Formats: sequence, structure tokens, C-alpha cells
Amino acid sequence: MISLISPVETWAHRIPAGAKLLALSALTVALFLTDRPAVLAAATLAVIALYLSAGTAFLRQGARHLRMLWPFLLLIALWHGLTGQAQAGIVIALRLLAALALANFVTMTTRLTDMIAVLTWVLSPLRRLGLPTRAVTLAIAMVLRFTPMLVENGQRLALSWRARSPRRPGWRIVVPMAALALDDADHVAEALRARGGILNDIPDGRN
Amino acid sequence: MTGVELRDIGVTLAGRPVLQGVSARLEEPRVGIVGRNGSGKTTLARVIAGLVAPDAGQARIDGADMAADRRAALATVGIIFQNPDHQIIFPTVLEEIAFGLTQQGQRPRAAEAAARAMLDRFGKGHWAPAATHSLSQGQKQLLCLMAVLAMRPRVVVMDEPFSGLDIPTRLQLMRYLDGIAAQVVMITHDPGQLRGFDRILWLEGGRLIADGPPDAVLPRFEAQMREWGGLDDLAHLAG
Ligand SMILES: Nc1ncnc2c1ncn2[C@@H]1O[C@H](COP(=O)(O)OP(=O)(O)OP(=O)(O)O)[C@@H](O)[C@H]1O
Ligand SMILES: [Mg+2]
Repeated sequence: MISLISPVETWAHRIPAGAKLLALSALTVALFLTDRPAVLAAATLAVIALYLSAGTAFLRQGARHLRMLWPFLLLIALWHGLTGQAQAGIVIALRLLAALALANFVTMTTRLTDMIAVLTWVLSPLRRLGLPTRAVTLAIAMVLRFTPMLVENGQRLALSWRARSPRRPGWRIVVPMAALALDDADHVAEALRARGGILNDIPDGRN
Repeated sequence: MTGVELRDIGVTLAGRPVLQGVSARLEEPRVGIVGRNGSGKTTLARVIAGLVAPDAGQARIDGADMAADRRAALATVGIIFQNPDHQIIFPTVLEEIAFGLTQQGQRPRAAEAAARAMLDRFGKGHWAPAATHSLSQGQKQLLCLMAVLAMRPRVVVMDEPFSGLDIPTRLQLMRYLDGIAAQVVMITHDPGQLRGFDRILWLEGGRLIADGPPDAVLPRFEAQMREWGGLDDLAHLAG
């Protein structure tokens, strides 16, 4: 998620995260309430216009993020086309495209810290019940930090394997990868401990 | 101020003694730790920072046991790990630096402002939103240093902090360290980085075999390293 954040600062970056997430929820619900292709096509165009308002570079970057969607959209459209429900296919494809593009827009223009702050606020009733919500928000940040690291570990192991073997590593790096992940978990625990661990009586994400 | 106090420290890992009978009272502003691979330097750094409690003896800073009192440790001692990937917890640079500050009790906005100020101090303001996993190894080391220095600990323990830094960054950082009030305990393999230090500890096989001013310790250390390095018998290699 974090790698998706746009390096280009746009007007949308300056809108509070809570407002953006609320608008996103409302608009997504609205997209699911209509079945008319014309309305959905207009909505999709509106989302594209939204991207454009942040600049062409931003639009191009957004399109790159959504590129992996094309095969799915195509599949949905084809399937429905073959089963004689072309209109339903177009409706579903357009709806998915508009909703995901909108979500991606919010992700690209909202800092993780701000998302976490909103989440902390949403979770605040739980905190009043005495549940340690700081651990939840910390956990989310860590998943975002360590997912790319896990992928990198895998790539590094594969490289290291290929440097010393003519064959591809395949499943054989699964065990060392798991071992590395456990090792990493140890290190994070130590890193957290080095900076005080999870203290519950300190200010949370709200300002 | 009483500084770092190590009394007869012993650490055993996996049934093997890794540190034995290490005693030193460190009050000097700049202390270097040297020794070969596997001599116990990192383990000693962990003991000083309170990340491991010694199996024997006592480690204290300003009279407080850092392993037992983590809250005191937060204000007293910062540690920079040998491997920055083991230290970075957060997905973005700004969050990584701000985290320690919120842990110290600062409000998120204030912590963020202080984190930005730290980045600006090193001319790295533009790093703030960057993904930590996308930084180069040396950039990660610099980030770890900034994250710890921002917390203004009384004692900064650094485990080979400059190994991946380019020369300008290293010089800039050393100059910055000259200017801070914190006591610095630095592990390094390069005696050149210990110029201007007040005291050197030399570890060998988990024991303190020399302890004194650089003029007294470093020439002997270098001569010994060269002698061992000149041997062709690989049995003398560390470990
Ligand atoms: N978790 C562990 N379990 C068992 N043995 C360990 C562990 N960590 C370190 N050791 C052993 O303790 C000894 C000292 O390790 P330490 O990491 O303190 O050395 P070092 O002086 O920092 O070395 P280097 O210069 O390579 O960083 C080594 O022989 C190492 O094999
Ligand atoms: Mg070490």
C-alpha cells in the first residue's frame, strides 16, 4: 500500500484522510446501487477526470497501479458476453473499475500515518472497552513494512541460489524463507524493545 | 552523572560463554569498542542498551538497570543495530523517526515535526514520505542513526554504524556526533574512526583484554590484527 503513495503532491493530499475515506465509502455504496451502464460509464469518466485534475503524470501512475486489473475485467466482460449477458458484464466491469480506481486514488493521496489515525479513531470504542488498540495499529504498520521485505527475502534467496546452481530454486527456498521470516520476527521484537515496546499509556494516533 | 557501569558481566548463549568477566565504568564522552568477528562486541552493545540481561554481573546506566526498567531506558540509551534491516520497523521514513518520539510521550504532531527537523538537519527532508524498504543499505543506516539521535538519548550505542556510508555522509555524521552532548559508545573495525575518542575497550574471545586511551590500545590492537592477518593458517580466523 505504502509503495503506492504518489511522490507528486496533489490537492487531494491536503484533504483530511477521514473525509476522503468517508467519501470513498459513500461513493462505493452509490456505485453498487445503480445498474445502468450509462450512469456507471459516466462515473468511470468522472473518476478519470478526478485523476486528471491531479495532473497527467498522476493519471499515468494511477493507470500503472490498476494495470493488473485488466485481465480480470476482460475475463468478466468476455464471460458475460459468451453467456449472452453482455450488459450485465459491462455493468460489473465498469463498477469494479470505478470503485477500485477511486480506492486507489485515496491510497495514492493519503499518508499511511493518517490512515492509521482514522483507523485508531474508528477503533476508539474498543479502546474504551479496555482493548489495546495501539497494538492493532502498530501491527498494520508492520504488515506494510514487512510484506515487501518478505518478498525481497525470497528474491534474495533465489538470487543467491542461482548464483551457485544451474537449476531454478522453485519450492526448495520455501524452508529457508520460513526460517528467515522467523529470524526477522525475532529482530523486529528486539527493535521494538529497543524503543520501549508497546506502551499503552502513550498518546495514540489522534492529534 | 555516573555513566555506563559494567560489573563482572557474563553472557552465555546456546550454552557457550560469549562474554566473561567484563568490568568497566565508562564516564568518558567517546568510548570505542574493538575486537575481531565473534569476540562479543554486539553482545556487549545489547547488554549496555538493556536488550539482553546479563547472566552474571550487573549493567547499569546512571544507576538504573536498563534491562529491567525499559521506560528509563527509553530516555537514557539508544542503540543502532549492526544491520539496519533489523532495526527499521515502519514502512515510511517519517514514521520510523517519529515512532521513538511518540514512545517517549510526544504528541503525534510534535513528534512528526521533530522528525522532519531531524531529516532537515541532514538535508534529507525529501526522504520523509519515502518507503523504507526502497532505501539503499547506507541510506537505511543513516535513517537508523537519525531515528535514534532524534530521541536525544544520554548514551548512544552504535554497532559499526558507518560500514555502509559514503565518505561525505560519514564525515557529516562524525561532525554531527562531535556536536552532541550524548555519550557515544561505538563499535568499529576501523581504528581510523576512533580518532578523538577518549577510551578504547578491546574484546577478544568474550573477555576484555585491553582498556585504556587510544594511544595505548590502538597501536597494539592494529599490530596484533596485522600479525594474525599475516598468518596463512586459517585456523586463526575468527569463530
Ligand atoms: N543468538 C545466539 N546464539 C548463540 N550464539 C550466539 C548468538 N549470538 C551470537 N552468538 C555467538 O556469540 C559470539 C559473539 O557474537 P557477537 O555478535 O557479539 O560478536 P561481534 O564481536 O559483534 O562480531 P562481529 O564483528 O562479527 O559483528 C559469537 O561467537 C557468536 O557465534
Ligand atoms: Mg557484531
